[in-house]
Order: sequence, then structure tokens, then C-alpha cells
Amino acid sequence: MITINRRNLSLAAGMAAAVALTAGALIASTAQADSGLPIGRPAPDFTTMDSNGDPVSLSDFAGRTVVLEWTNEGCPFVRKHYAQPPGNMQGLQADADADGTVWLTVISSAPGKQGHVDGAAANQWAEEHDASPAHVLLDPDGTLGRLYQAKTTPHMYIIGPKGQVAYQGAIDSVASANVADIASATNYVREALTSLSAAEPIGVSSTKPYGCSVKY
Amino acid sequence: MKLSACLTALFGAILFMLPAAAAPVDAGHARVELISERDAALPGETIYAALKMDLDNGWHVYWLNAGDAGLPPQLIAQPGSDIEADAIGKIVWPLPHLLPVVEGEIMDYGYNNEVVFPFPITIPEDAMGPVTLDVMADYLICEDTCVPEQAHVKLKLETDQSAANTRDGELIGKWIAKSDVPFPGEARVLKKNLDWTLSLRLDGGFGKVHSIRFFPFGHDILHPAAQPVELGRHGATLSLSAADITAVSKPLEGVVVIEQEDGTRTGYEISAAEGSPLPDTSGLGPAGGMAGLQVAAWKLILLAILGGLILNLMPCVLPVLSMKAFGMVSAVSGGHAGEVRRHGIWYTAGVLVSFGVLAAIIVALRAATGPVTLGFQLQNAPVVAILVLVMFAVGLWLMGMFELGTSLQNLGSGLADRDGDAGAFFTGVLAAVVGSPCVGPFLGAALGAVMGHSAPVVFTFFLAMGFGLALPFLVLSFVPNLYKLLPRPGKWMDTLKQFFAFPMFLTAAWLAKVLGDLAGSGAVAWTATGAVAIAFAAWLWQREARLPRILAVVTLALSVFGVAERAMAPAPALGASSAYAAKYEAEPWSAGRVQSLVAEGRPVFIDFTASWCATCQVNKATTLKSRAVHDFFAANDVAFLVADFTRKDPAIAAELARHQRAGVPMYLWYPAGSDVPQVLPEILNQGLVTSLPLTP
Repeated sequence: MITINRRNLSLAAGMAAAVALTAGALIASTAQADSGLPIGRPAPDFTTMDSNGDPVSLSDFAGRTVVLEWTNEGCPFVRKHYAQPPGNMQGLQADADADGTVWLTVISSAPGKQGHVDGAAANQWAEEHDASPAHVLLDPDGTLGRLYQAKTTPHMYIIGPKGQVAYQGAIDSVASANVADIASATNYVREALTSLSAAEPIGVSSTKPYGCSVKY
Repeated sequence: MKLSACLTALFGAILFMLPAAAAPVDAGHARVELISERDAALPGETIYAALKMDLDNGWHVYWLNAGDAGLPPQLIAQPGSDIEADAIGKIVWPLPHLLPVVEGEIMDYGYNNEVVFPFPITIPEDAMGPVTLDVMADYLICEDTCVPEQAHVKLKLETDQSAANTRDGELIGKWIAKSDVPFPGEARVLKKNLDWTLSLRLDGGFGKVHSIRFFPFGHDILHPAAQPVELGRHGATLSLSAADITAVSKPLEGVVVIEQEDGTRTGYEISAAEGSPLPDTSGLGPAGGMAGLQVAAWKLILLAILGGLILNLMPCVLPVLSMKAFGMVSAVSGGHAGEVRRHGIWYTAGVLVSFGVLAAIIVALRAATGPVTLGFQLQNAPVVAILVLVMFAVGLWLMGMFELGTSLQNLGSGLADRDGDAGAFFTGVLAAVVGSPCVGPFLGAALGAVMGHSAPVVFTFFLAMGFGLALPFLVLSFVPNLYKLLPRPGKWMDTLKQFFAFPMFLTAAWLAKVLGDLAGSGAVAWTATGAVAIAFAAWLWQREARLPRILAVVTLALSVFGVAERAMAPAPALGASSAYAAKYEAEPWSAGRVQSLVAEGRPVFIDFTASWCATCQVNKATTLKSRAVHDFFAANDVAFLVADFTRKDPAIAAELARHQRAGVPMYLWYPAGSDVPQVLPEILNQGLVTSLPLTP
């Protein structure tokens, strides 16, 4: 029959320890990653080509407030905020620029999907709409969009001067595609930017974005 | 035919020929109209009207919670309406459907084709003569792109009497029945960080459930995440993924939609307070085919033993078994019949212990993360890297690079010497660890059935499977007459031992490829470096002096830890297309893609594969890459989709679970125009594939 001697025992113990360690590693490895971009945590860095073919990185703007705006020219919700009057998005961009805030407009539409444009077309669109972002970033493969988990157009992010995510979500409080609703809505982006420049805590720092889905 | 029936038919025909009260308004992508259960209603009465929408093919409108993107339809009373805004009640929302916009990333909730939104209206008390309901239906309608549309619709009602409109009344009644009702049972949610467990208790359970989905009213959960379901005798448990950790403890509210196997959908509105899972809401396995019927335990155990037996034939177990066979041959040749018996027992013990541990890991992981699939140890880069090194080291030993004495480093060896018990035990462990991902034909289905069972059942099942794996050797070691079939000893034994190194090296090479898929070429390079270090350590060991031997041990330790540390896998990209898919004129699988291919009327063949699954590789080589199959697919316009499970992919795991499979391979065949797949056997041949039915 089986002899239980010291060697066999220690061997079995060693095996058990090895298996237990493996199990521990497995359990640790399946721990789920955090979801979403937690407010107050460092924003992930990226390098993306802009509409002029130059690489743009978040780290280029260290120490400054950065706004990321996901857009798709064909989306009715985007059109609502670019409609002139009132030129809601353009106004935000101009005010941000005056404040020294960097405004980055991101296009994550995949080739063949609504809103996909090349650099020249993106620049032409910005000009036609009097938009004044610092850069229009072209993200046709959706890398940046997925990094930031952008769900809708528009989907707005504000990154504070310390590189932390200060706001993410909707542009304002009335989820509709109707231009007339802009006047009565609370503009979360404007409020957050105002609080940031006054070095005050941001009242509403995360909301559910509304709009069309990003056309990944 | 009776006269009354004739008259009814005639009456119906006349009704249909009457002009409708108001023609539907075509607002672009939908035909919109107001209907009512009455043609006439008395002042002060509350009756049901409805917004009826007939959507363009492929376009959808949204539920009251649109999900990640979109907006629900709104009714806005117009200034000229006799029935004013405060007399228009809330919409009775029909049960929503899932609208996956970007598979695994963006999920919306809503409706396709035709939808009817019933809502109550109250006729003004002072109504004199006909009254008009005059509203603007304001809705967002989407296909790939979204269009906000408005339809100005009116409904005229007489108020001199009460007269039913049987046709519209029936339609509205049907759609009200498609709405949710308050949950007669009890709901609880247990929040563990981002993993929430929603338990639903209802006396008698939910019946023959095909699927259960929770549609939240808010955005507290990740909409695109799969919701694995486990059934119980009196209810069910859903695993949800929370959107973020909220400090505020508020009840989780929404609608639970239960789809029966016959396709009927029932919806319950729930409000789940925080608390431990309710009793009897789990333990019967996942929803789907096996749901609601507890497979008899003895059947499961028989299946498990059978599955274990089949594991012996799997390509990835064979090298280990060849080691074992060699040990037995050598022991018998040395005249140690008793030793062979001991080997058999130790080997069995090794297998059983490993399977017990595997069951423990699975139960623990299931508790921690929801469902788990087999083969996961081969989705973990450090584990794979270490396995490569173990295989390589065993190969070196077989080649005679080093002799293993009676010290503790005797792992996985000592098969031929007198202290072979430990070696036999470890061989059993090795067979189990390497063999588990190769899910044999019966095993796949059986594991799917057992995965949702209680912990004791899972343990029994795995132990039975291990017993099946060990059985051939156990029999061989206990039936004396079978010894005689083993060849006599001689010099050939050494040759044989060395020959067995090659299956080990080949296994190491295959595992290195798996590692490359998981963690890139850098990890493979580090592992190869580790292998060199092991060879170097073995060479130092041969010096027989103290210093080189110490160096050897140090080298060995550094190599193993260094490799494990550097072989960390990057996070797998969801829905990443695989190299395999690119090579075979195939495209990556996604549920949405299957739907659209089925809608196109093309037959679809789906290959659920992984680079660490040997059976899959065999099928690929013998069948899927063959000209006959290729021609068959080309001639019949078959879409060939690949679901690559080499890295963890929750969408693929969910799909495997849906078909009660716990691992790959799995092959699904959708005949042209059929949305019900045929699950093919796990071992394919060309004849089987080329004779698949093209039509359902």
C-alpha cells in the first residue's frame, strides 16, 4: 500500500503550496479593472494625430486645463450645439481659449461611418462652423475614444491643470436634439470650467452623456 | 362554416375597408399614428390611447431608459388639444429589447419594427361634442445614424356615448400585456465593489427560462456587460457589472425581462434593496437548455468519468501520459509489480488532488467574478510561461541532462527509480493541469450543465472527471495480466526515455506560441531565456561541486521568477480580431454580425477557437483548412466567423455558456435564414462539414 513517509508528505505540501500560489495569482489576475474614468484620478496620456498631421499628446499641455469634446458632424445632437445662433459649442471654445484652456475636438468615427473625415475636411468643417478648437484630433480607429470610454457625441471631458479628470459627461442638463432647449439648460462644462479657474470644487463632476453613439 | 362565423368574417372585412380615423403620419423613418380603445367615450372617463409606430427596417426607437446613447420618445400636448397635458397619463412602456450598437461597448435599449406605446387619457368633464387629442410625437430614431423626428398626430373621440374600437382596443391590450408588472416576489442586490449580484426570489421559480436580462431605470450598471444568469428552485441570480462605486446606497430599480424557451417574454418591475442573496435563487445551473431540470447526479458523474476517459486521448495530455507509461514500463521491468500498483494509486491521487484544487479555484473564482471557463489557466501568461519551463525541464531530464536523486527537487520525475511515488503523483498533477483545457466532446456539454451547480456538485463532478482520467492506468496497474502486455526491459528503455523528450519539447513549443499570443514576443523571448538558464543550471549541476551547485539553484530560481514576472499579459482588447481570422478569409465573430448575416440569408459557420486548444488546432488542420471545406463554403456563400478565445473575452465566454459549453472548441452552424444554430460535434471531419444542411 501507499507509504506515507516524510518525503512524500513534504512533496505533497510543496505541490499544494505551488498550486495555492497559482490559484492566488489567477484570482488576482481576474480582478476586474476599474470601469469608467474615475473623477479626480490622473487622465490617461495619449498621442493622436491632429487634422494637420501633427502628433498631439496630453502631456504637451501639462499644467493647463484641457477640454476633450467628442464630435460627429452628422449627429443631430452635435448640430444642436453648433447651430448658429446660439453657437453654444463655439462660444465655449472661444471662452476656453481666452482663459488659456486647451480645447481638443476628437473625431472617433470609423472609416465608412457617419462623421468620418480626413484632416482637410475636418479643418473645413471647423472653419465653416466658426469652431476654434486648439486641435481637431483624428481617431478613426477609436483608440482615444476607447481609452476615455467616450460613448456619445457630444461627450465632454475636462482635465484639470494637475492632469486629473475633473469632469466627464454631458455638455448640459437637457438631453434633447432641440436647439431651443439650450437656453434653459445648465451648461455643466461652463460651470466646471468656471469652478476650475476660480480654484473652487466642481459642483457636478460626472453626468450621463447624451447624444448619438460614437460611430466606432 | 356556421352562419355566425360568416357574418363575423364579413363584419371584419367591412371594418378593414372603412377608412381609418386618421391616416398615419410619415415623419421620415416611421409611420406614426394615434389609436384608441374607444371610438367614443363619456366625459370624465379615463381610457387608453396609444402611439403606434411602424419603423423602417433596421431603425429603432428607445425605451424609457435608452441605455448608453439615445432618447426615449416624448408626447407633447399641443395648444389646440381638448385633452390637455395634465389629462395625458404616463406611457406604459413595452418590455425593451437589447440594441447592441457596438458589440461589448455601447448598448442601447429599445424597439424595432412595430411598437405601440399605450397611455391613459381622461376625457374632460365638461366635454360637449367631439374632443380632439392633439400631440407632437417627438422621438429620436436611429439605424447607424440618428435622426430626431417629429410627428404631429391627432385623435378625435365622440363623447355622446361609449363605443369600443375592438381592433385598436385589442392591439392596445396586447401591448399593455407586453409591459412590466410589479414583481410578486422579492429582489435583493449584493454589492461587492463593481460586481453586483441581483437575486430574484419567486415561489416556484421562473419556469423553462431561456434568458433573463435586467434593464435598469438608471445608469448604475454597465449597459453592454453580459449578465450571466443562474437559476434556482425559487428564482434566479444575475451577475451585474456596476458602472461605478457609489457611496450612496439606494435600491437598484429596473425591469427584469424573462424570456421562456417558447419565446414568450415576461417583465417584472423590481426595486432591489441591498442584502445577501435570497435562498433558493441559485444552484440549478445557467439559464438555457439545461434550465429548470436538474440533471440526475449519477448521470452527471457518469458523464464526468466518461469525459475524463476521453481526456486521455487528447493531444495535450498524451506527452504526460507517455511519461507515465515509461515509468510503468521501467518499474515492471525491474520486477516491481507492487510498485506499479503504488504508482497507479499515486498517479490517481495526483490527478484527484489537482482536479479537487481546480474545482476549488473554479468555485472561488465563480464567487469572486461570476462564471469562469475552463482553460483559463492557459489564459494567464505567467502560468503559461512557467508551464513552458516545466515542460522544457522535464524534456531535459528525459534527455539525460541531469539525474534527479531523492531530494525535494524531484518534482515530476523519479518515475523509474524506487521512490517513484512522488513522481507518479506529480505526473498525475501534470496530466490534470495540462489536460483540463482540452475539453472533450461530452465534457463540454456536461461542464456547461455543472458550472452553475452548488459547490459540492462541482467538486464531485471534477473528482469524477479526474477519476476518469486516471482510470486507464489504475486498471493497468491493478490487473496483473495486463503487465504481460508490457514489453520486457532492455537497452531500448534508455532510448525510449530520450525519445519521450521530444513530445515534451513540442509541448513547450506549442505553449510558447500560446504565450506569444497572450503576451507578445517579448514574453516568449524572456521565457526562452529562462529555458536557457535552466539548461545552464542543469549543466552546472553536473559539476558535482558545491559552488556550481549553489549557483545552479540560484540561476534556476532567478530564471523562473524572472520569467513569471516578465510574462505579464497586456489587457486583452475586447473583440480583438485574431491573426487566425485574418489568415482564413474569416472575420471576427460578434453576436451582431451573426444577426446581420442571418438577416442577409447567408449560412454562417462559427469557429470558437483558441491557440491553446489542441483539439481546435487538429480540427483546423484536418478540416477547416481543407480544400473540400473551403470549396463548400465558397460555393454556398457561407460566412465563416472566428471567435478567438485565446485571451479572455467576456462576450465569447457568455456565448459558450449560452450553449452550455465551458470551453473551446465549439462549432455553430446557422443554415441560411435560420437564427437557431446547430451545435456541431467537437471533433470535426470534412464529410461532416460538407454535408451540413444549407436550409433549416
